[in-house]
Amino acid sequence: MADQATFESDVREFIPQLYSAALRMTRNPADAEDVLQEALLKAFRGYHTFKAGTNLKAWLYRILTNTFINKYRQKSRRPSEVELGELEDLYLFKRLGETGTGGASRSAEEEALDQFVDSDIKAAVEALPENFRLPVLLADVEGFSYKEIAEIMDVPIGTVMSRLHRGRKQLQRALWRVAEERGIGTDL
Amino acid sequence: MKSDCHKAQAKVYNYLDGEISRYRRWRIQRHLRRCPPCTGGFSFESKLQQRIREDCVDDVPEELMARLTTFLRQNGPTDTSADPTAGGSDV
Repeated sequence: MADQATFESDVREFIPQLYSAALRMTRNPADAEDVLQEALLKAFRGYHTFKAGTNLKAWLYRILTNTFINKYRQKSRRPSEVELGELEDLYLFKRLGETGTGGASRSAEEEALDQFVDSDIKAAVEALPENFRLPVLLADVEGFSYKEIAEIMDVPIGTVMSRLHRGRKQLQRALWRVAEERGIGTDL
Repeated sequence: MKSDCHKAQAKVYNYLDGEISRYRRWRIQRHLRRCPPCTGGFSFESKLQQRIREDCVDDVPEELMARLTTFLRQNGPTDTSADPTAGGSDV
C-alpha cells in the first residue's frame, strides 16, 4: 500500500511525461491541463490502492488514459476517422527510396527522415484516430511493453499489437504526404 | 520480394519492440546479416521510432506546474476506497 503523504514527491517526476501524453491525446493545451489535473486528483485519492513496488508509471498512465477516454471519447470521435486499408511493411522507407536516384546510398532514407521537423512528427501522431494514437503514444513515446499497454487500455494484447502496427503505418502515410508536398526525399 | 524478406519485414515491429521469441529474433538477425536492403529498412524504422520519442516531448508551462503542485498539496488524505484505475473497461 502506498502512502498518500509521499504522493507528491513520488509522482512529481512523471508530470512532464504525463502532460506531453495528455497533449497528444487531447490535441490542445486547455484540455490537456483538465485531463492531467483530473487524473492526478483520481490518482491521489486512490493512492492507497496502488501497491508500492509495482509499476507506478503504468498505474498513472492507466488513470490518465481512462480519464481521457471517459471525458473525451464522444467529443473526439470524428467521421473522418475511418480505417484505411492495410499498408505494406516498411511503407515510408520504401516510398522515400523510390524517389531517390537509382544509386541511393544505404542511409539516404534516413537522411530524408532528418528533413522532417519536430512539428511534422507531432502532427502525424495527433492526426491518428484515437484507437491507433493511444497505442503508438504508449509504445513509441513512453516505451511501454505490449502487455503493459494492454493493461493500461484494458484491451487484449493482440488488439494492442494490431492497432499499434496499423497506427505506425498510418503515421508513415501521413509523413509521406508531407514528404511529397515538400519534396523531401527527391534530392537524394 | 523474396519470401525471407517478406517474413522479416512482417515482424519488424515485434523485433524492434523486443516482443518476439528468441528463435524468431535469431532468424531475423540471420536474415539481416545477409540482406542489406532489409537492414536499411529495419534501421530506418528504428530511427523513426526514436524521432517519435524525441519529438513528442513538451515542456510543462511553469504556471501549470506551480498550479499542479499547489493542487496536490491542498488535497489532503481522503478515505475513499474507489480504485482509480477502474472505469475504463468500455474501450
